[in-house]
Amino acid sequence: MKRSLMSLGAALLSAVHLAVPASAQNASKDVTIVLGEGVDLMEPCMSTRSNIGRVLLQNINETLTEFDVVGDKGLMPRLAESWDQQNDSTWRFHLRKNVKFSDGSDFDAEDVKHSIDRAMSKDLSCETPRYFGSTKITATVVDPSTIDITAEPKQAILPLLMSIVTIVPSDTPMQFVRDPIGTGPYKMAAWNVGQNIVLERRGDYWGDAPQVEKATYVFRTDPAVAAAMVQTGEADIAPAISVTDATNAETDQAYPNSEVFYMRIDQGKPPLQDKRIREALNLAIDRQAFVGTLVPAETTLATAMVPPTTLGFNKDIKPWPFDAEKAKALIADAKADGVAVDSKITLIGRSNLFPNVLEVMEAIQSMLTDVGFNVDLQMYEVAEFEDIYGKPFAEDRTAQLVAAQHDNARGDPVFSMFFKYHSNGPQSGFSDPKVDQMIEDATAATGEDRAKKWSDLFAYLNNDVVADVLLFNQVSFARVNPRVTFKPTIATNSQLQLSQVGFK
Amino acid sequence: MRKLIFGRVLSSFFSLAALVVMVFFLSRLTGDPAALFLPREATQEMLDNFRRLHGLNDPLIVQFGRYVWDLLHLDFGQSLRQARPAIDVVFEGFAWTFQLAAITIALVSIAAIVIGSLAAFRPDGIFDRFASVVSLIGASAPDFWVAIVAIVVFAVNFAWLPTSGTGTVWHWILPVAVLFIRPFGLILQIVRGSMIQSFGSLYVKTARAKGVGNTSIIFVHTLRNAMLPVITVIGDQAAAMLNGAVIIETIFGFPGVGKLMIDSILQRDFNVVLAAIMVTALAIFVMNLLIDIAYAILDPRVRT
Repeated sequence: MKRSLMSLGAALLSAVHLAVPASAQNASKDVTIVLGEGVDLMEPCMSTRSNIGRVLLQNINETLTEFDVVGDKGLMPRLAESWDQQNDSTWRFHLRKNVKFSDGSDFDAEDVKHSIDRAMSKDLSCETPRYFGSTKITATVVDPSTIDITAEPKQAILPLLMSIVTIVPSDTPMQFVRDPIGTGPYKMAAWNVGQNIVLERRGDYWGDAPQVEKATYVFRTDPAVAAAMVQTGEADIAPAISVTDATNAETDQAYPNSEVFYMRIDQGKPPLQDKRIREALNLAIDRQAFVGTLVPAETTLATAMVPPTTLGFNKDIKPWPFDAEKAKALIADAKADGVAVDSKITLIGRSNLFPNVLEVMEAIQSMLTDVGFNVDLQMYEVAEFEDIYGKPFAEDRTAQLVAAQHDNARGDPVFSMFFKYHSNGPQSGFSDPKVDQMIEDATAATGEDRAKKWSDLFAYLNNDVVADVLLFNQVSFARVNPRVTFKPTIATNSQLQLSQVGFK
Repeated sequence: MRKLIFGRVLSSFFSLAALVVMVFFLSRLTGDPAALFLPREATQEMLDNFRRLHGLNDPLIVQFGRYVWDLLHLDFGQSLRQARPAIDVVFEGFAWTFQLAAITIALVSIAAIVIGSLAAFRPDGIFDRFASVVSLIGASAPDFWVAIVAIVVFAVNFAWLPTSGTGTVWHWILPVAVLFIRPFGLILQIVRGSMIQSFGSLYVKTARAKGVGNTSIIFVHTLRNAMLPVITVIGDQAAAMLNGAVIIETIFGFPGVGKLMIDSILQRDFNVVLAAIMVTALAIFVMNLLIDIAYAILDPRVRT
């Protein structure tokens, strides 16, 4: 309490600063990055959370492997120089030597073991275990630069999963930390909660020194303010500005943000159990009419739950065409067979999910009504929405179409498909044993076989099951100060590596 | 006076206790924090583990008993989102809000009292009409619109001030100016009305008859008697500001307690919500007490 009162006093005194307004660091190698969402934790094992990952991932804390979601390099070495499979369940990782943490300690296999144990520990609530599901991970130190990692049951993509586990020193406590220590090219120099986080370049980094010497992250909820900060030179990069503010061709650019916007079809209630009705839902929506009007012109039509850069993405699947007459015919056909096509369908959306979301939802409602569906639109705030989106679903619900966004920039569909389509998936709207088997087979496969299995699953879901109404591959807009070089990519939503920022 | 203060403190204590009980149970009705802290794809094991770590599996009455016991030891619990003491999180935010409110309300009070008094001195004169128009515009302009326009004009177009943030005195100008406008309009109107009423009273006529100067009539004879309703409104406005200026904090990236409270409610960070409500409620009780004391000083009838 005494310390708390002292912190109150210190905060009160902080207003006494007198200086000229902050402005661009035109000649320096410092950058200011304005993010839309504040950071409440700087915990390495939470870096899969986008607001934390954008500051921390690969800047402060690195991983054994790194997936190239933009190019075609696939899985790349980071703290592990190489890896090989010992048996079905065990992979051996050969670690990089002469790597130091920002506290001066040496990096070795004990750190990797501790990082894995810590990330999977029940003493913390790390996000990491969600990517491993029920798989048990055991790390065994072979020597200081070699470690065996075993997955039970076997996990075909274990090296890819290691791109999620951030490495911390072996003396990191089994509780959330606020001063992360890592092997990355930057260390945290200051964290003024609610105001900014400052990272400084390390002189003893094992890799090539990035150009940026110091990065200051500030947080502005209003995207118009973020855009204005880059315009005035107060900031250099605003990775998420609104489409309405992206008016300057010199500084603003659109980029795919790895979010897929779709509507989950609730097959647990009539009339959505009928495949013809699900097809009619897809045919009733004129997706192209939204592009360039209610959603940005750079938006593309989605044909899978994952973005096109994902392994096994099936390019043969075409977006559903807009054909209102065919939709009406399918509904009439179903009605003739006794399907309760007049049953109310609740269209559920999330407020503030993206700009114009309400207008998009109203337009979808209108299009569905036009072909004869009885649709009621309801918009929810995030907390209520999450309750509806996840299982268990309310037994007394009406049939639901739940419009949601899903983000997978990790390169493999495994991070999406179980959750969205498996009978036991927490957000799955149906149950199909064949889909379950296909997911399990693809999850266990490797190499080209894995890609093919995922590809087949996408086709089956779209053509045979008609599992959902896939709508858009979303885009974001970034504003970049002309003095710096930075190209936002599909990865920018989850991480923003300062090593990719340069100066003109 | 002592009796007045004691009575107010006692009633404030019971109000605060009732508030804690109410907010504790009502906040729990909003749902499970685990569902918001953990990702959608969290396994059941992760959800169970989170609830176990944070004592959310215990019956509500047990959780409440534990909370009250900790509170008696001045332990407000940990913030779920920030993994540090909730009271530290709240004090940081409240310090910013307190400064913002104190500076703004001081400037508003001075400006509204001076301009309102002068406007009331010549009702329907040019100064009065100008002040009325300005105050009505101020009282009716939406904060978020004024804030965005202010940024566009003064930060983007003229480049006189920073767009947002904290760090220097310059950063305070736009937030304070935007926050100033609405209460200024309201208080100015109250001052004007109250002063006009006082100018018509017998003691002012007597003063004029005795040849007292205009400045003395306004600021010595009339103002003190006209201040009672003004203090009430200033108190209301200050209380609203101590609760946090959410829009101002959001747009200007100001780390105050208002946005903290909204975020904490949305994220179900219960300990921060409770600590924030207690700290702001306590501040408002203290301020109300000061207003009561000011009343007593200005109006001898209140003291008896």
